[in-house]
Amino acid sequence: MTTATTSASATGRGTLAGTGTLVRLMLRRDRVKLPAWILGISVFWLYYTRLVPQAYPTPEDLESIVSMMTAGSGSIWTGPTYFLENMTYETFIPGAYGGYQFLIIALMSILLVIRHTRVEEQTGRAELVRASVVGRHAPLTAALITALFANVIVAVLVALMMIADPVFGTAGSLLFAAGCLVTGLAFAGLASVFVQITEYSRTATSLAAGAGLGGAFMIRAFGDLGGDHGTTLSWFSPLAWPQQAAPFVLDRWWPLALSLGFAAVTAALGYVLSSRRDVGAGLVAARAGRARATRWLGTPIGLAWRLERKAILWWAIGMGLLGMGMGAFSNAAVPGEMPEALEQVLGGTENILAGYLSYMGVFIATIVAVYAVLAVQGVRAEETVGRGEPVLATAVSRWSWLGSNLVVGAIGVAITMAAAGAGVGLGAAAAMGDNSLVWEVTLAHLNHVPAVLVVLGFAGLLFGLVPKATSAAWALVGYGFLVGTFGGLMSLPDAAIKASPFEHAARMPIESFELAPVAAVGAVALALAVAGLVGFRRRGINVT
Amino acid sequence: MSSVIETVGLEKSFGKVRALDGLDLSVAPGEVHGFLGPNGAGKTTTIRVLLGLLRGDAGQARLFGGDPWEDAVSLHRRIAYVPGDVELWPNLTGGETIDLLGRLRGTLNASRRDTLIDRFDLDPTRKGRTYSKGNRQKVALISALASDAELLLLDEPTAGLDPLMEAVFQEVIREMKAEGRTVLLSSHILAQVEVLADRISIIRLGKVVESGTLRDLRHLTRTTFTVETAQPADGIAQMPGVFNFEPTDGQVRFDVDGEHIDVVVRELSALGVQAITSRPPTLEQLLLRHYGDEIGAPGEERAEVAR
Repeated sequence: MTTATTSASATGRGTLAGTGTLVRLMLRRDRVKLPAWILGISVFWLYYTRLVPQAYPTPEDLESIVSMMTAGSGSIWTGPTYFLENMTYETFIPGAYGGYQFLIIALMSILLVIRHTRVEEQTGRAELVRASVVGRHAPLTAALITALFANVIVAVLVALMMIADPVFGTAGSLLFAAGCLVTGLAFAGLASVFVQITEYSRTATSLAAGAGLGGAFMIRAFGDLGGDHGTTLSWFSPLAWPQQAAPFVLDRWWPLALSLGFAAVTAALGYVLSSRRDVGAGLVAARAGRARATRWLGTPIGLAWRLERKAILWWAIGMGLLGMGMGAFSNAAVPGEMPEALEQVLGGTENILAGYLSYMGVFIATIVAVYAVLAVQGVRAEETVGRGEPVLATAVSRWSWLGSNLVVGAIGVAITMAAAGAGVGLGAAAAMGDNSLVWEVTLAHLNHVPAVLVVLGFAGLLFGLVPKATSAAWALVGYGFLVGTFGGLMSLPDAAIKASPFEHAARMPIESFELAPVAAVGAVALALAVAGLVGFRRRGINVT
Repeated sequence: MSSVIETVGLEKSFGKVRALDGLDLSVAPGEVHGFLGPNGAGKTTTIRVLLGLLRGDAGQARLFGGDPWEDAVSLHRRIAYVPGDVELWPNLTGGETIDLLGRLRGTLNASRRDTLIDRFDLDPTRKGRTYSKGNRQKVALISALASDAELLLLDEPTAGLDPLMEAVFQEVIREMKAEGRTVLLSSHILAQVEVLADRISIIRLGKVVESGTLRDLRHLTRTTFTVETAQPADGIAQMPGVFNFEPTDGQVRFDVDGEHIDVVVRELSALGVQAITSRPPTLEQLLLRHYGDEIGAPGEERAEVAR
C-alpha cells in the first residue's frame, strides 16, 4: 500500500492509469441501461412541458391547479413557490415539476456510480481489473466521468427541448438544464462517499438513495414548508439549490455553484476514503450474524417471510409516507376550485373530497400491485439463481414452496395497503380536522386488497405455467393504472373498464361497502393462484 | 435387498439436445457409488431427475422403489442433496442456512452439525453473500452430512474445496459408509472417485458406458510412467501390459495396465532408477482411449443446456 502510494504520486498519472479504457468499458456495459435512463428522463420532462398547457388551457385553469398544488403542505412536493409571483406556464412548469426531474436525475447518478464501483468490487470483477495496469483511483474516476457524460447529455436534451418550445425563454431554459447537470454531479459525488463505507452494494444503495437522497428530500421539504421561498433549513439540501436558482423568475446562477462545490468536496472525500481501505473491503467491517437459525426459520413459510420481510417493511413505510402526502392534499378538493378534467377523474363535483379519497384507494392499489409483481419475480429469481432447487430437494412440496411465497406476498400486499390507507387517512384527517377519516379511509383502501391479489395471482399463474413470461404481469398493472387514471376521460367501453381488477370494488367512502364484488374479485385471485400452483407442480425446475 | 437407485433406459431431452439417452444406473444400499463423466455428460440432469426436479421423457427412474416425481416429498425425507453450484441466500448466515435446510428436510443432528462446522473450519456467523465458492460448498455439505438421510446425492461436492478440506470430506464420507448409508458421488475427476467409491459408473453422452467395482474397471486404469534409468530401458517395451513406449532425451515414457504394474516396476528397479514419476490416467484419456471421444466439443455444448 505504501509503496503504491509513493510510486503513484511520483508518476502522477499512476493512480489514474487505465481510466480511459474503463470509461469505454462502462459505456459499453451500460449501452442499454444508460440510454434508457436518459430517454426516460427526457420523455418525462417532455410530457410535463407539453401536457400542462394542454391540460390547463386557460389562465383560470392554471390558477386552480396551482392553488391545489400549493394548498396545505403542497410545497413538500413542489419546492419553493417562486412562480406564484408571476404565474405563467414558463414559471410554473419548472417550479412545480422540476423537483421530480432533479430527483430522478440524482437517482440515476447514484445508481450509476454504485453500479460501477461497489458492485464491481463486491462481485470481485474489480479485482480482475485492478490487477491489470489500472491505477487505484481509475475506477472511481471513470465512474464519475461516465456520470458526467450521462448528465451532460440529459442537460443538453432538456435545454434543447425547452428552447424549442415557444413557452420557454432561452436564458431560463439554460439555467434549468444547468441545474439538472450540477444536481446529477452532486449526487454522483455523494454516492462516491457512500460506496466507500460498506462492503455490500445493496447497503450502499440503501444508504445513498435512502439516507442521502431521501434525507436531502426531507430537509428540502421541511425547509420549504416554512415559507414560499423556503427557509434557511432548505439551503442545507443539495436538492434545494437548483430550485433556489429559480429559473425564469430570479434567474440566478450562483446557487448552482453550491452544487458544484458539493460535488467537488464529496468526490474528493470519496477519493480520500478509498485510499484508506483495501479493494473489496468497506470502512465499516461486516457484522457477524447468528450462528444458528431461530426456531421460526424452519418452514417454507418461515423462509418466505424471512426473505420478504424487509421489502414489506420498506414498502409499508414508503407507501405510508406517500399516502400521508396525498392525504394532506385533501383540503384542495373543493368544488369549483379544481380543473374540470381532474374533477371528472375524481368522480364529479357533488362530493369531491370523498371522490378524491376514493380515487386514492385505486391509485394506491395500482402502486401496491407493483410490489405484488416484484414479489413473484423474486420467487422466479430464487428458481433461476438456484436457491429454489436445494429447498425443493428437501421434504418441501412444490405446492408448499410456491404457496408459502404467494401467501407471504398476499400478507405483504395487505400490510402495505393498510399502511398506505392509514397514511392517506391521517393526512386527510390532519388537513380537514376530521379524525373519523383515518378509520374510514383505511377501510376504503383495504377494500382494494383483493384487486391487488388478482395481480399477485396472475403473476403466480404465469410463473407456474410459463415461468419465462412472469414479467408479463406488468401489463396488468399498467392497464389497471391507465384505466384507473384516464378511464373516465377516455370514455372506454364498459367491458374494457371491467377488465381491470381495480374497477370492481365499491369506491369507498363515496359508495358504501359491498361484499359481493370484493368476494368475486378475491375468488378470481384465488383461482389464478391455484391454477399457477397446479401448473408449477407439473413443470420442470429451472429448465432453460 | 433391492437397489436404492435404479434407472432403466432413462431419457431426457432439452429441445433438440438429448441430455440422457437411455441411462441405466443401479446403486446398491450401503455403497459409495462413483458417478463419473466429463462435464455435460448428463450427471447433473440424472441427479435432478432423481430428485423429481425434472421429469424423464421415457424410461424408468426409481428411488427406494418409489417414483421420484410422484413421491418427491416422502422420498426427500430420506435424501440429502448437495448441488454442484451452491447459491446461498445473501442475507442468511451460513449457520442459519444449515439449520434451515436441515429442518426443511426433517432431520438435522445438532451435535453432528457442530462437529462438522468445526471439522470443516466454517465460520457460521457470516452472511451468505460474503462466502467464497468453497465456503458456500461447505455450508451445503455440512447441512447434508449433518442429516440422518439414508442416501446422499453429491454433485461434484469438492469442486471448490482445498486439499485439506477434501481430506476431511473423504474422512466423513468413510464414516457415513461405516454407518451404512448410500452415497452417489458425481465427479469428472477419476482420482477423486477412486479413493472413495466401491463401484463406479462412467457416463458419456447421456449413457452409462462402464459400470462395476474398481477391480472390474482395472483394465481402464492405465498408469503413465516417466523414468530415467542408469541402464537402457528399451527392454520394457516388450513386457506384457506396456503400451505407447517412447524414449525421449535420456528418459522413457510408457503406459502400463493396472494389473501389470508390479512386474514392470520390479524390472525397472533392476535397471537403476534415477528419477521416476507416475500419473494416473485422466477421465478424458480413458474415454479417448476406449471410446475415441473428441474431448470437449460435444460435451461442453451439452453442459450449458443441461444446467
